[in-house]
This record gives sequence, structure tokens and C-alpha cells, in this order.
Amino acid sequence: MPSVFIPSLVMPLFILVATAGAFRGIGGLPAFEGSSYLAFTIPMATVMGGGFSGINAGMTLARDMEGGFVDRLVASPSPRVALVLGPALAAMSRSAFTTTVIFIAGLIGGVALPGLAGTLIVYAVAAAFSVATACWAMGVALLTGTVQATPLMQVAVFVSIFFSVAYAPREAQDGWLRSISDVNPVTYLLEASRDAELTGVSLSSLGPAVLAAAGLIAALGAFAMLGLRRLGA
Amino acid sequence: MSLALRQTGALSRRALIRTMRVPQAWVPSLFFPLMLMAIFSGSFAQAPDRIPGFPEVAGFLDFIIAGTILQAVLIAGTSGGAAFASDIEGGFFDRLVSSPASRLALVGGRITANIVIGVAFAAFFILVATIFGARISAGVPGLLLVLVFTVFLAAAAGGLGVTLALRSGSAEAAQGAFPLFFALMFFSSAFFPRETMDGWFKTVADINPVSYVVEGMRVPIAGTGDAWDALLGLAIVIGLAAIALLATLRSLDRRLKGDL
Repeated sequence: MPSVFIPSLVMPLFILVATAGAFRGIGGLPAFEGSSYLAFTIPMATVMGGGFSGINAGMTLARDMEGGFVDRLVASPSPRVALVLGPALAAMSRSAFTTTVIFIAGLIGGVALPGLAGTLIVYAVAAAFSVATACWAMGVALLTGTVQATPLMQVAVFVSIFFSVAYAPREAQDGWLRSISDVNPVTYLLEASRDAELTGVSLSSLGPAVLAAAGLIAALGAFAMLGLRRLGA
Repeated sequence: MSLALRQTGALSRRALIRTMRVPQAWVPSLFFPLMLMAIFSGSFAQAPDRIPGFPEVAGFLDFIIAGTILQAVLIAGTSGGAAFASDIEGGFFDRLVSSPASRLALVGGRITANIVIGVAFAAFFILVATIFGARISAGVPGLLLVLVFTVFLAAAAGGLGVTLALRSGSAEAAQGAFPLFFALMFFSSAFFPRETMDGWFKTVADINPVSYVVEGMRVPIAGTGDAWDALLGLAIVIGLAAIALLATLRSLDRRLKGDL
């Protein structure tokens, strides 16, 4: 379904180019430690690509519910959990594709790949976020049963990314935004991805990111399961 | 003429009431610009004092107000265009055409509503920014100038939205103007000064008229630039509004003749 997939590819690319171009000057702040703003923005774009992949999973499920396909699946002997697991895995693979395109855009802009381990971490963080957001979006779809709930799926994902370290590291943030960033799990995902992209693998940022990803997937997975249970009720 | 004005007023009231009744039509115009204003001012608070070339402003919040108003007006223009297209799809437009209503009022009502919405949003953003410490550097005359900018900007965005609606007759296609508005906004100095950009991006921002409009609005708000910047911005936004309104009238003419 190109109308679903293409925006999820184009938007992160657009955000990468527009953000890196418009805010290039902010990279001059000491908190950026001399890194190019394009390189700084790549992890945000890949995580956003993961988020879009997750939202797509929810939108597709909502359309399937409206079209009656989910009802037929529920009536079949296939395990219900497959309704959530399948799209979540598909979201992961879509996020890998988007991450690859973002990396290629970065290469065109003069940002080299961050080495094998760093590259894998950037892929893994985006994939983990895609699974978490897929669980969120599918939970919303299962609870509402309508594609009109798409804005709700999108807004939560955008807010979680934007109120993190999307545009500047925590050291450069103003008090109130810093307070939100500190408790936002997406901050820790972005920091691990950004460390991998800019300075190499860092265990000090990888640990919190693994915890944040596990917490997000567990909590939002439980939310999706709640939606699944309601489906049969 | 007074009858045409009364009809425009009535259709404008209808458009406003319908917009207010559908939160999806106006909440995004408030929510997203407000969110970005908060995030950018929180993320880039250190920029004005520390980034070489950044214009002298009291704070980043003062700097970002103009871009926030621009964003809200552009989103409202897209929503207005989509609502007008819904009227075409639903047959309301055809009923108006078959009535003795003024042809000007057919499009004037929606564009006037867009202007009212734009001015209300601008006043709201300025109020919020003021609560959080921003100040309009040119005082009340400066505030009035910002509202004048907003009137023409909303007329331009509303005119473009209605033009797309008339040409396509489809709400989905009219909504399709959003990526264009989004690109115009981001590839300009709406959120960061051109002085800190470089390469092809700066070239695009330099030739993007939106840069000059937003920089003109910034003169009375943040005290950047000079009177020439304000006049240039005002002239460009008036020109954009005139082009958009001419395009609207031309599209209306073609639709009434059955060419669209």
C-alpha cells in the first residue's frame, strides 16, 4: 500500500534534510562538541522512521478491522497474538529499510557510516522503537476499531520524539524541556543511537537505552494485548 | 456591493461556525505550532547568545513567534481549502451557484473566515509567548503591524487553499497542499536565521519569499532587522495575497464555466 508506506519513508528524509539545513548553526554550541548537525540529526530521523513504521502497523490493522479481515482472522483457528506479532515484525523490517535510506542520505551529505557496531546500534534502536510504536498504534486500532484514530497514534509518537533530545542534547536544553527529557524513555534511545553515530559504541548510553526499549515494549505490548482481549469480548 | 458584503459576512460566519464545531479542523493549527514553539525555544535557548551571526534578540522565544504564527496560518489555510472542497463535494457550493448569491461571496466568505482564524491564532500565540516572558519590542504599534502581516498571510494561504479546492473539487487533494506549505516553511528562515545557514539550503531560503515575510514580521516582534526588512516583508506578503486571490477568482471563473 504505497499511500501508507511512502509517507513513512519521505517524512523522516524530509525531517533530516530540513532540520539539518535549517538548524545547522546550532551545531556551533559547545554541547554539540563539534559534530556536524547532519550527523547529529541522523539518529532522530532513523528513530522517527521507526515510529512511522509502527504507526503504519496500527493504520493497516485499523483498515483491516474496518474491512472485516480481522473478524475473519479472529474466527479462524490461528492464534490471536499473531495479529499483533506479525505487524510488529513487519514494522521492524520497514524501519530497517528507512534507516538504510537515511544512512544513504547521510552519505550523500558527507556523513560516513559509524563503523559496523555503531551502524548496527542505530538500526537496532530504530527497530526497537518501531516495535514499541507498533504496539501503541495497534493497541489504539484494536480499542477504537477505526482508521480515524490515526491522529491519536501519530501525535503520541511525535510528542514522545520531540519532547526528548530530538533537536539538542540535554546539556543545551532549557530547564523545563530538560526535566521532560530526563524522564522520557525516547531520550535514552536517541542518546544511545547518537553516541553510536557520533562517537562510537558507548556502554554508558547503551545500558539505559536497553532498559528504555524493554520498558516501552513491555508497557505498550501490554496495551496492545489489552486491545486484543477486548477484540474477543 | 453592500449585499455582496453581507453575503460574504454570512458565508464567513458559516465557515467559522463549521470550523469551530469540528475540532480536527482547528486543533492541529493550534497544537502543532504551539508544540514546536515550546520545543524549539527549549532546545535552542542558548542559540541567540552563543551562535555567531544570530540576530540580537532578547530570547529565542521572541525570535520564534513569527515562525509560529506563519505555521498556524499555513495549516489553517490547508484546512480551510479542504473544508471548501467538502462544500463542493457535498453539493453546497452548487446550491450557492444556482442561487442569486454574489460570485465574490462564494469564495470571499471562506477566505474572510481564514483571515479571522489567522488573526485569532496570532493573538493567541503572542499572548502565550508573552505569558512565558516574550515581549513585543515595538509595543502596541508593533503588535498591530504583526496582525496586518497576518491578515495578508491568511488571505494568501486561504486563497491558495480555496484555489486548490476549486481546481480539484476534492478535500483530499486540497489537503495535499500541506506538504507544499510544510516545505515552504522549513526551507526558509521561519525557525532559524538565514545568517547561520550555508550551501544549497541557504540558497533555497534566500529565494524563498516566506523568508522575507517572516523576517518582516520579526522586526516589530523581536527587534531584528530594520524598517526596510519590515517594508520588504509586507510588500511580499501583499503580493502573495494578491496572486493567490487572482488565482482564486480565475479558478472560480473556470469552475462556473464548467472548465473544471
